[in-house]
Amino acid sequence: MATVHRVRGLWTALRYRGREGMWTWVLHRATGIGILLFLIIHVVDTAIVIYWPGLYDHALALYRNPLFRFAELLIFFSVLFHGLNGLRIIVQDFWPAAMRHQRRFALGALGAAVVLILPVAWIMLAPLFGLRAEPGSARHEARVNARHPSISDYRGPAQAAPPVAPVTEARP
Amino acid sequence: MSSLVRNRRGGYDRPARDQRSNFELYAWFFMRISGLALIFMALYHLTWWNLIVGVEHLDADLVRERWTNPFWRLFNVALVSFAMLHGLNGLRYSIEDYVRRPGVRLAVKTVAYAVVLLSLAWGIFALLAFNPAVPGR
Repeated sequence: MATVHRVRGLWTALRYRGREGMWTWVLHRATGIGILLFLIIHVVDTAIVIYWPGLYDHALALYRNPLFRFAELLIFFSVLFHGLNGLRIIVQDFWPAAMRHQRRFALGALGAAVVLILPVAWIMLAPLFGLRAEPGSARHEARVNARHPSISDYRGPAQAAPPVAPVTEARP
Repeated sequence: MSSLVRNRRGGYDRPARDQRSNFELYAWFFMRISGLALIFMALYHLTWWNLIVGVEHLDADLVRERWTNPFWRLFNVALVSFAMLHGLNGLRYSIEDYVRRPGVRLAVKTVAYAVVLLSLAWGIFALLAFNPAVPGR
C-alpha cells in the first residue's frame, strides 16, 4: 500500500527540491483555481443578458472601474501561463524524451507567458493613464457612425407611410 | 485518488483492491484534449473581447449582435463546456489532494460540483434560449 503523504502547505511546496517543476506546479494550480472562480462569475453574469440586458449593462458599468482592468490582465496572464505550461505537460506526457529538458521547458513556459503578456499589458493598461486610446476605439466609432449616419448624409424628413384603411375582420 | 482509507499511522492509504473503473484514465485524457482546444479557443476569446473589441465598448447590444450568428453561440457552448469541465476536474484534483477526511471531502465535492455544473447549465441555457428577434431576450 502506497502511503499518500500529507501536503504541508505552500511554503513546503516552494522549498521542496522540485525547483522549476514544483514552482510551475504551484502556479499551475493557483492560476487554474483563479480562472475557474472568474469563469463562474463571468458565465453567470453574461448569461443574464438574455432576460435582463439592462442589468447586464449595469454589471458592465461596475467593471469599468480601473481596478477591474488589472484583474482582467491578471486573468489574461493566468490563461496564458496555464495554457503554455499545460502544453509543456502534454508534450512531456506524449514525448518522454522531453522530460530530460523539463526544467528548461518549465522556465520556457513561464518566460513565454511573461513576454507575451507585455504587449497585452500595454494595450489594456495604457488607456488608464491616457497613453493610448482604448482598444477597439476605431472599430467602435465605425459602428456608431453606421448606426447614426453623419448630418451630411441627411436627406430630409422621412416620408410618412400612406394611411391604411382599417381592416374589418370578416366574421364567419 | 478517490476513496482513501485511514490507516493506523494517522495517514490515508489507497484502497488495496483495484477499482474496476477507467474513470481516471478518461479524466486524464479529457484534460489533455480539452486543454489543447482551450489554448486556442480561450486565447481567441480573450484577444477578441479585450484587445480587438475592447471591454470599454461592450454592451448588451453588442452581445446580441454577436449571438445572432448561431456559429458564435455554438462556439461559446463548446468554450464554456470545455472550460467548466476542465476546471471542475482540476478542482477535483485539488480537493482530493488537500481535503483528507472522507465526510468533509464528500461535502466539499458536492458543493463544488453543484456550483460549477449549475453555472455551466445556466450558461448553456442562455446561449441556446437566446432569441435575437425577441426584445429583452
